[in-house]
Amino acid sequence: MDEKTRTRVGGPEDPLEGLEAVIALRRTLEALEAAQVENAFVAGWSWARIAEVLGVSKQAVHKKHARRIRETYPGDPPRRKGRGL
Amino acid sequence: MCVEAAFDEARMLGHDSLGDEDLLLGILRADEGIAAEALSSLGVTLEGAREELEEMLSGALSSIGISLEEVRREAGDAFELRIPAYRRIPISPWAKKALVEARKEMRRIGDNYLGTEHVLLGILGNADGMAVRMLAGMGVSREVLEERLFELRGRAAG
Repeated sequence: MDEKTRTRVGGPEDPLEGLEAVIALRRTLEALEAAQVENAFVAGWSWARIAEVLGVSKQAVHKKHARRIRETYPGDPPRRKGRGL
Repeated sequence: MCVEAAFDEARMLGHDSLGDEDLLLGILRADEGIAAEALSSLGVTLEGAREELEEMLSGALSSIGISLEEVRREAGDAFELRIPAYRRIPISPWAKKALVEARKEMRRIGDNYLGTEHVLLGILGNADGMAVRMLAGMGVSREVLEERLFELRGRAAG
């Protein structure tokens, strides 16, 4: 594979554009993770189960998301049932 | 202060650091001083700038085959780019540079206060920066904006 083909296959030719796609994706990924963790929480999933599926420790997922979700749902979270923390 | 407003804007848009484009949004949001006046006289509004940044984000994602709209639809209402207000974010290298340049501009012009116009000049000094490209996307060039800025200064002084 010559240099030109590689650039084309590898993505945008302009490095600035390529790097900015990375930032855009990272921001989107963070927002998507926050949304899906929130969705799971509202569906009654425990932190332990959410963490397991994400492949990280319970502490990690709790540290990253608990405060935000607690502030979104002050008092009792909606439809929360089953195992707690 | 426009830097405080800039941090708010950055978090609102999901920026995990304060970028030079956020400094510009901060100037627009604080809506005071010659910089804000110059920007609005060229049709640059806070709303318009936020929309332009969203379009740039969406464009960057589609360059790698991802549709922001579809991600939004799939993730549901819980999806938002916003970062919680309690989270501290650092200042990006470009924003830092813009603030350093702002001080230099202030000295070069011979002013003894640091105003939004110096910050704006600092931002405009970086041709690669997000702010300059955002403005270009809104049809405003650095040259025109700088010219307007000095025009308004002249009027304020005279």
